[in-house]
Amino acid sequence: MNALTVLNPQDQFKAPTPDELFNLPPIIPGVDWFTKPVLLALLSAVIVIGFFWAAFASPKIVPRGVQNAAEVGYMFVRDQVARPFLGKDADRWMGLLLSLFFLVFAWNIMGVIPFAQFPVASHIAFPAVLAISIYVLKVYLGVRHQGPIGYFKNMMFPPGLPKPIYILLSPIEFLSNLIIAPFTHAVRLFANMFAGHMLLAFFSMVGFWFLFEHLTPLGAPIGVIGVVMTIIFTAFEMFIQFLQAFLFAMLASMYIGGSLHAEH
Amino acid sequence: MSEQERRPEDDGQDFASAAWSIPSYLLAGMAIYGGGGWLLDRWLDTSAFFPIGIVLGIVLSVYLVYRKYGR
Repeated sequence: MNALTVLNPQDQFKAPTPDELFNLPPIIPGVDWFTKPVLLALLSAVIVIGFFWAAFASPKIVPRGVQNAAEVGYMFVRDQVARPFLGKDADRWMGLLLSLFFLVFAWNIMGVIPFAQFPVASHIAFPAVLAISIYVLKVYLGVRHQGPIGYFKNMMFPPGLPKPIYILLSPIEFLSNLIIAPFTHAVRLFANMFAGHMLLAFFSMVGFWFLFEHLTPLGAPIGVIGVVMTIIFTAFEMFIQFLQAFLFAMLASMYIGGSLHAEH
Repeated sequence: MSEQERRPEDDGQDFASAAWSIPSYLLAGMAIYGGGGWLLDRWLDTSAFFPIGIVLGIVLSVYLVYRKYGR
């Protein structure tokens, strides 16, 4: 560290490190578990509950205001997430999928909301808990709807292959469905949010440093680039945050659908 | 909504599940056969089975995806 500080004097730009950005101190000193991501996760849950409570507590036949917005969200999840994979079972699973989509979306969008500015899912524990829950549900539903032997048989021995090849392919199916799928489910969301937060933090640090902390004639254009890139990437991040929430719910729906009906 | 609005979207479903399963199958194939090759290499004190295993895993995964989702 000492050698670094000698080479890196006070008036040089330092990019934010993951440790600074993600290893946040507790909000109340002494209560170690209560950090900013935890607060934002709880806040997101309250916001999602409040939003749908306000929308559907006393629903009108002709929707207005909040109910209108919530219905658009519901229709989106039903038509794009639930129905393509669940078909006629879609309505039974809407409660889970709708909550999942809006909770993850609220978590993600916290990354660009001023003062919050931290995507909750960039701590892997949060998406991991959701992915593990979906995984347990997937295996439970599969065993229940296809039988304990039938589920593993349908999963590991897809019909229509020459018999000897099963020895080679069944391990791939097993590993892919039961170990790698839940892992990628969580990591996809986590990695996107982590990288997005790093990018935004980097570009806003560039803008802040070169325009406010250390204004020089040569540095100013770099600062302007930093500010412009921050704005562009904020818009891009909002798209990614929406897309990842959609993908997370879509994969959950896909896993549930795959457990309800054996692949044909 | 009504029944007729629920168009058969089986093509979209197949496409989506194929698209989202491929990386997972490729990883699984590489992990299983690459891992097996690595163990063989350790056991026999060679260095050829690990790359062979990885390539074999990819080939088998691609074959599996092709047979499951391809026509």
